[in-house]
Order: sequence, then structure tokens, then C-alpha cells
Amino acid sequence: MIRLMLTTALALMPLAAAAQEITVGAANMAPYLDPGRDHSNVGSQFYYNSFDTLIDRDHHKLESEWVPALATSWELVEPTVMELKLREGVKFHNGDDMTADDVIFSLNRMIQATFPLYVVRAKDRLGNFTKAEKVDEHTIRIHAAREEPLWETLISLQQIMIIPEKYTKALTGDPNVAEDSDYEAFALAPVGTGPYKVETFQPGEKLVWTRFDDFWGDRAPLERVNVVQIAETASRVTALKTGEADIITNLAPDQLSLVDSDPNLKTEGSATALFHVMIMNQNHAKLKDARIRKALSLAIDRDALNEALWLGKAVVPSTHTMKEMGALHQPDLVTFEYDPERAKALLKEAGYDGFEITYDTAATYYTNGLLAAQAIMEMWAAVGVNGKVVVKDKWSGNDPEMMTRNWSNPMYFADPFGSFGVMWAPNGPSESEGRYNTDADFAEKWERFRFSTDVEARKAAYVEVMERVKEDPAVLPLYRPFESWGMKASVNWAPLPGHIPYVLDFRAGSISLADS
Amino acid sequence: MIAYLVKIPVKAMVTLFAIVTVTFVATRLSGNPIDTFLGDGLTAEGREELIRYFQLDGTLLQQYLAFLRGVLSGEFGLSFIDRRPVTEVVAERLRPSAQLLLASVALTVVVSLPLGVLGAVYRKSWVGSAVMMLAFAGYAVPSFVLAIVMILIFSYWLNWLPVVGNGSFLHFIMPTIAMSGVLIAALTRFTRNAMLDVLGQDFIRTARAKGLSEARVVLRHGLGNAGVTVISVIGLQIAGLAAAGSVVVESIFSWPGIGQLLVNAAIMRDYPTLQFGVIAVAVAVVVINALTDVAYALADPRIRLSSA
Repeated sequence: MIRLMLTTALALMPLAAAAQEITVGAANMAPYLDPGRDHSNVGSQFYYNSFDTLIDRDHHKLESEWVPALATSWELVEPTVMELKLREGVKFHNGDDMTADDVIFSLNRMIQATFPLYVVRAKDRLGNFTKAEKVDEHTIRIHAAREEPLWETLISLQQIMIIPEKYTKALTGDPNVAEDSDYEAFALAPVGTGPYKVETFQPGEKLVWTRFDDFWGDRAPLERVNVVQIAETASRVTALKTGEADIITNLAPDQLSLVDSDPNLKTEGSATALFHVMIMNQNHAKLKDARIRKALSLAIDRDALNEALWLGKAVVPSTHTMKEMGALHQPDLVTFEYDPERAKALLKEAGYDGFEITYDTAATYYTNGLLAAQAIMEMWAAVGVNGKVVVKDKWSGNDPEMMTRNWSNPMYFADPFGSFGVMWAPNGPSESEGRYNTDADFAEKWERFRFSTDVEARKAAYVEVMERVKEDPAVLPLYRPFESWGMKASVNWAPLPGHIPYVLDFRAGSISLADS
Repeated sequence: MIAYLVKIPVKAMVTLFAIVTVTFVATRLSGNPIDTFLGDGLTAEGREELIRYFQLDGTLLQQYLAFLRGVLSGEFGLSFIDRRPVTEVVAERLRPSAQLLLASVALTVVVSLPLGVLGAVYRKSWVGSAVMMLAFAGYAVPSFVLAIVMILIFSYWLNWLPVVGNGSFLHFIMPTIAMSGVLIAALTRFTRNAMLDVLGQDFIRTARAKGLSEARVVLRHGLGNAGVTVISVIGLQIAGLAAAGSVVVESIFSWPGIGQLLVNAAIMRDYPTLQFGVIAVAVAVVVINALTDVAYALADPRIRLSSA
């Protein structure tokens, strides 16, 4: 009987492949799907297949090359006003036509947010936008408070992907009013304009996409995609091997060879546009002296961490910068380096008396997080620092007793503002958690970086900002972790360089299945 | 008998109330959801706003009273994370867990009772020793080891069995065995020991002297009497499994059950889901215990007839 079922199951498998269907085994499945309120690494996997922004970029390229999406053209009509022409004939997954009203609704739900979960998300990146308004049925304008050097970058953010107004408002309560509960309901039954519509969504378990035949752009290459959560790494790898999954996410570095050694399987990976960082509390009584924090940073041999933990595949930065930032990428700037001798000298100068310095980490949250912490303790010991790893699940970044810990700084969009800025700008999360201080001088430099419309002026200002970071350090980017995906040899897919981290892009041109 | 039966639901209600209260306090002592899943990159005002939004701004007592009012009116709140009613979230997960539990219990009973009886009857031959060996080995191997070894052999190497989810009959095989391993070991030993006790007693000799067949002596008189012990052990085991035993196995096989849900809810401090999940499991355990008590009464005439 079992044998019969097995043969039936095996016989069915090639059929499924012929039907252009794949199954993704994901380490994590999102608990909700709303591109607006989400900025997690789990959620970012899923939005690009189902939603569109007004302006998109060519994700095959590292440099930002803007391409029309739901807007066909855009121009500045005033220094602070951008006018966009909307694409005609765009349909939402529920059959509604996309109108200027939908676009205004989507933008203003974030720009002028009242739903608390939107408010907190919009504040850090969309703060310069004041409103969106309709000009006519196919034209809209976005207003900014100050001249904006990053128009296209910000308009292509996941958080302002376009959703249907009528559908959303009608989800709960009064069908003409956008209530908080409408947004909550939307996150469980999301509707967008992208090439795949969400057919089934079971929060935290499973997501099924089917091809959306009325998509305005190139037809989706797959008819159906099942994403299933497989939390356990060993189970994910086995599922790939048994054929239950065609692609698996979050393959640990030590399992790459296991997958690669199977001729039917392969791996793809890249150094993710995200830093694992060490943060240091500037306001902890024992760490107030910048020399001690400088020494903690100088004592860490990040290249050794890379070699030992990531097989040398991670990327160690010299400053808080990434090559995705294009013109703003400044690889020659050296803000962070390894110099144990100087670390020893600084500790002596500061009169460090051997008091214990704690380093908090969660047990498993960051890949290699705990191992890195233990290695860092050894490196600290080598310069005479008495370090101690404290494993805790709770986020301690807002605890005044926190001395140092690990964290991550993702690149939410391709600009230093989208990575360093979101976390470390004046009045940002790090400062308001009380472990990091900025002053008027820093704010002036930051403003000049954020709002100068000349690229060279922005670069020069960023150098000054990094100089301040070097003088009174609160953060050390350790490396860009190397993330890998395992897949069948017949699947042609790889993470594209122009995306934010973890995006599973299955649009036309991004994935294909070899006929076997 | 009646008095005995009436006491059962009263005991159950008191237990449940205690559990509801302890769960409420314990979840809140362990930290705040804003510090876990919403913690990254939040400004101070953002934090305040979310605390208000999730109604975490009252005192502990106010929150507790609001929660009790909810419980009495059947309103257990929305999950902090996916904002669905927790009753719905938990209900969706209970069925797969219950299926796995029943499959495991069925397998346990089907395997352990015969093994236990064999172990007792042939205690002096190699059969009895083999049974005991098996039972000790089963005790020593934790479920996750058993699960991983099975996956390695039957999925990774042989590719006979699926590892992900609960889609078909084949999906049940490995998780069921992994869950049952320790139970089979335990129940086999209990059955054997109970049988040895019973088989040594006078009435068994009488039964044999009456000229009854050996099978009838062992099964009717032996197992029938050993059954009282066996029932209580099974009840305890099911209750234990329902409470905690399935978390690891569910996680390894991506079983969409309640174990994984509760672990995630605990890590994220999703209070509403955690509270209702624990209550649902507690109700299951209490009901199982109550049913065990009833079964016990039916099986044991000393209880059945005590107040008659």
C-alpha cells in the first residue's frame, strides 16, 4: 500500500514541474502581509511578487536605474513637488481598476498616518513628505517639506506600495472610512497589483501565490508558488533532497557543501545588504570614556571572524557603507579598523581597571551571532578586556544597564540614509533608546548629508558624520553576512543585487525552470 | 459513584481558574512584546504609541480584570502579531496536534499492551529480555534524536517518506513514531509490571485450576485486572503529551500544531495567543484527566461501588 502511494506520489512530481509550479521551504513565514507596516526581514521576502511601487528599479543592476512601474513618468514641477503620471489599465487582484484615488490613499495612509503601526514605520523614512494629492484621473503630486535628494529612492520603498482603497476600507466597519481594523484585516487578505496574487495565506504557516493573468507587465513565469514554513534547518535540507521543496531559504554556511555535493542540487548566495553590528552604550557609567569604547572596537579582528565563521564569504566594511549605494558608496573611507596595540594603549590611558564588560546576544537570532560573541570575547581578552557573553532573548538595546550587544542594521533602501540613517540619525531609535547621543554639531552635519541636493556635498558631509562616529563610537559594523539559498539544479534563480535583503523575486526575468 | 463523578468537574473548574491566573501573571513577568518583536528601530514616542495601541498601558490589575471580563464573555482578544482573534488562531492549530496525539496514543496502545503481556508471560525466556531491552532503549532515546535519525534514513537517504507538514497518511508515520517512542517504552514496562503483579496472585491460580485456557487466564483475568493501572498510566501520558510533549516533534516535521505556535508566542511575548493557547491546552489536559478518572471508575469496581 505504502509502495503504491509512493509510486503515485513520484509519478505526480514531474507533472507538477511541467505545470510551472514550485514550492519554497522558508525558515520563517510572515505572521501578516502588509507592505506598509512591515520592515522585517521575514516580510520583505514576499511583497515584491504581489505589490508594485510607483517607480521601480532594475533589480538586475547594482546601481540605481529607475524604471517606470505604476507611474509611467515623473518630474519635479517645483523643488518640493513631484508630479507623476499613472499607468492606465492597471488592475488589482480583486478585479478593481487602479485609480488615482487608490494611489493617493496608499501614499497618504503612510505619509499622514494615523494607524499607530504605520506611524512608527513612516516616521523614520518618509518624514520629509507632507502629502499626496490628485491632479486628475491619471496624475498625482507628492509634496515634500524640504528639497528632497532621494525622490525616486523613497517613492520606490516597499512601505508605499499601492493597495486598493475601496477594498481596504470595506473590510470592516464603515465601508467609506479607513479604520485601524481595516488595515489589520488587509494584512490577512492582502490585495495588490503585482504579477502574483495571494491565493491562500495562513499566518506563520503557509502562503500560496497564483499567477495574476491581468497583470500590467510581463506575464509571471510561474503558475503557482507554495511557500511553506520549515523552521528546522535539517528538515529544510531534507525537504530539498526529497523533492518536497524546490527552493529553501536560510541555508547555514556549514551546510553549503552538503547541498552542493548533490549533483541534483545547488546553492546561490550573496553578501546580504545588511550589517551585523556591535553596539556600545555611550551612556553606561563605565563606558562613558570614549577611549574604552574605541578600544573595544579596535580589538576586534573582523577579518578573522569572517574567515572562521563565514568561510571568508562575508564582507567586512571599512565604514558604514555598502556598494549598493552607488555614488554614495565610499569604500576608501576608513572609520573602523583592527589595531590591538592601539586598543591596549587606549585602555591604559583611560585607566581601565579590568571591570567586566558584558556583551548581550540572543542564542540563535543572528546566524553565527553567539559564535561571533564568543570569538570577540577572546579578542578582547587578548588586549586585556574582561568580557562576558550574556545570552538573553529579550531586546536589551533600551536597557540602561546594557553595555554592548549585537544588532543588525539592514539597508532599507539604497542610500546611507536607508542604512546608517534609519538607525543612527538624530532623534532616531538609537538616540531615543538612551544609549547614543547626538548634538547640534552632529545634527548639522547630518542635515547637510540628508538634504544637500549635490552628491559631492552629501559625500563630504557623510565623511564628517563618520568622523564623529569614529571619535565617539556607539556602533561597529562587523560584516555583511553571507546568505544562501538551496535549490534544485533545474531552478534558475538567484538573489538579485538591486533588491533589499531577502526578497524572493519570482517576476518575469528573475526565475525560470529548466525543462527536464 | 455519583459523588465521585460530581467532584470531577468542580476540581476541573478550580484548576482552570488557577491556570488562567498564573498564565496571565507569568506571561507579563517575562517581558514586554514591545521589547521583542517590535523592539528594533523604535523611537520613544513610537514605543508609547504602540503600548497604548496594544492596551498594555493599564496597571497589571486593570489588565487582569479586563482579561477576566473577556474570558467570562468568551472574548479572548486579538493576537498582537497577526491581529486575528486568538480563538481562531489556536483552533486552527488544535486539530493537527490532536490528530498527531491520537495517532501516537493509538500506536502506543497497539504496540505496548501486547509487548507488555509478552514480557510478563515470557519473563524468563529471551522474549522477555528482548522486550525489556527495547523498553529501556526507548526510554533512553529522546524524541528529537529518534526523529532526526528516521529523517536521515527514510527521507534523506531512501526518500520514502515526506518530512514537511501533515498532508497525507505518509506524513503521519515518522512524527507518530517519534512522539510514541518514549511512551511505548514506558507503557510496555508498566503493562509488564502490572501483569507480573496480577499473574502472581491467588485468583489466577484458581482460574488455571478451573481448567481455563492459558490465553483466557492471561487476557481476561490477568490483563483485565492489570488494566486499572494501565489506564491511569495512559491518561497521565496523554495529558503530558498534550501539555508539552509535541513541541519538538512538531517543529522538526513542520507540523502546523499548537506546540510551535505556543513557543513562538512565548518568544514574541504575544500575550493573548499565549494565554489562550495555554488555556486551551490546560482544558485539554483537565478533560483528559477527568475522562481518565471516569474510565478508572468504570474499570475498578472498588471505586465504582464505593458509595453505592
